[in-house]
Amino acid sequence: MKIVILKFLTLLMFFGAVNLYANTQETATVENSTYKEETYKSKPFSEMMSGFLASTGINAFLNPDPNEMNAHGEWMSDFHKSWGRLIMILVTFLLFYLAIKKGFEPLLLLPIAFGGLLANIPVANIAGEHGFLGVIYNMGLANEMFPIIIFMGVGAMTDFGPLLSNPKTALLGGAAQFGIFGTLVGAVALSQYTDIFNFTIQQASAISIIGGADGPTSIFIATKLAPELLGAIAVASYSYMAMVPIIQPPIMKALTNDAERRIKMTTLRHVSRLEKLVFPIMVLSLAILILPESTPLIGAFMFGNFLKESGVVERLNDTLQNSLINTVTIFLGLGVGSKLAADQFLVADTLAILALGVVAFSVGTAAGVIMAKIMNLFPGNKINPLIGSAGVSAVPMAARVSNKVGMEYDRSNMLLMHAMGPNVAGVIGSAVAAGVLISLFQ
Amino acid sequence: MDTNLVLEGLKFMGLGMGTVFLFLIIMIAFMNIMSSVIHRFFPEPVVSEMEVQPKDNKKIIAAITAAISHHRQS
Repeated sequence: MKIVILKFLTLLMFFGAVNLYANTQETATVENSTYKEETYKSKPFSEMMSGFLASTGINAFLNPDPNEMNAHGEWMSDFHKSWGRLIMILVTFLLFYLAIKKGFEPLLLLPIAFGGLLANIPVANIAGEHGFLGVIYNMGLANEMFPIIIFMGVGAMTDFGPLLSNPKTALLGGAAQFGIFGTLVGAVALSQYTDIFNFTIQQASAISIIGGADGPTSIFIATKLAPELLGAIAVASYSYMAMVPIIQPPIMKALTNDAERRIKMTTLRHVSRLEKLVFPIMVLSLAILILPESTPLIGAFMFGNFLKESGVVERLNDTLQNSLINTVTIFLGLGVGSKLAADQFLVADTLAILALGVVAFSVGTAAGVIMAKIMNLFPGNKINPLIGSAGVSAVPMAARVSNKVGMEYDRSNMLLMHAMGPNVAGVIGSAVAAGVLISLFQ
Repeated sequence: MDTNLVLEGLKFMGLGMGTVFLFLIIMIAFMNIMSSVIHRFFPEPVVSEMEVQPKDNKKIIAAITAAISHHRQS
């Protein structure tokens, strides 16, 4: 309705400019008959002009409309309507720069940032219930659909071969989940003993899952436990995943000595096709028996992997790995971006989330490395502690970082495949951790 | 709020890390059992692959070398 009138007014502006005050009344009457008869009343051109000016974005930024509500129909402050929006638009420009120039997870950061840009437009209310971002959000984020579909695609891209040939490295993927629970304690302590933040335990859980370094899992948990923090959590999660090559190496180097970094691991044995085919079903069966709450994530993940390993549905596998995951990534990014509206993002909590996120990430990395060192105390084949850091999921970036740091000390030491083991175990580990968190709030 | 949130957080941590490790340890045990079973009862595909590949490679290399030398001569 509003849009129709707006279009109508713009049309009139055009006519007005051509005719320069001549016959305005007439044109209006003619147009009048073709559009609404009831609602439209003939107005003098000057009034139309001022009405149009009042509906411009410039005016909306300078004189915020006191009656304007945010995307959830709640009251928002004048700051969030004017300067807040401008600041957020600049923030999205910064995200564009990071994605394009610095190459930080551009596949997700670009849609998220553009969604954020659109969500901060005044008047148009794109992130509102009937705006297209709002529709996308309700379509697949509010009901946790998109993260699950992404998980299917990730499953189809995952090769469990390295894990199957060296099963004990799965423990590294478990240790890295300490980042999640350690941060959870930190976040609740911060709310308990300081007055700056006041996170509930649900919010603290949703924030700490950033330590799992797994975008879809973070979004899944955030929409379930603390939807109001989704934007900040998703942005923190994906930006830290993109910054793995910057965050992890200093921690890895600080916790290891030169001899440990040069450890060469025994070559991986061959894994038969049947093992790879049985594995997803086996893990899913365990999840069903031990923690059914984790089966939405693990089930979707193993579904994708099973399709791939079955080898008989190449078309479905291809769709999952490419077109489906790409399509959903676009929607997921835009939907998350809609939560970058100024009134939800420009709050003190966001800073706390960004800070806690990087703590979670670092603790997870450190726990993985320390776990590898503990495992080396036991007899058996030695593990290079550098692959411990790959226990935080962030597939395959974390494994590449392990490989790169290892190569810095010994050019011939190829750790990539060894690091993929804890890396994929980290995905399973964080899905299990997510399942635990969900089951605790039932 | 009366409940001690930090204590709650520590409980969460105990339960969460416990479950994660329990799950992964059981998973590792099952992976070992599964691979030993598969290697004992269904070992054929691995062996046949190992036998076939080198032969094929040699044939292919021979064919390529022949083609290259033929191309150079003409």
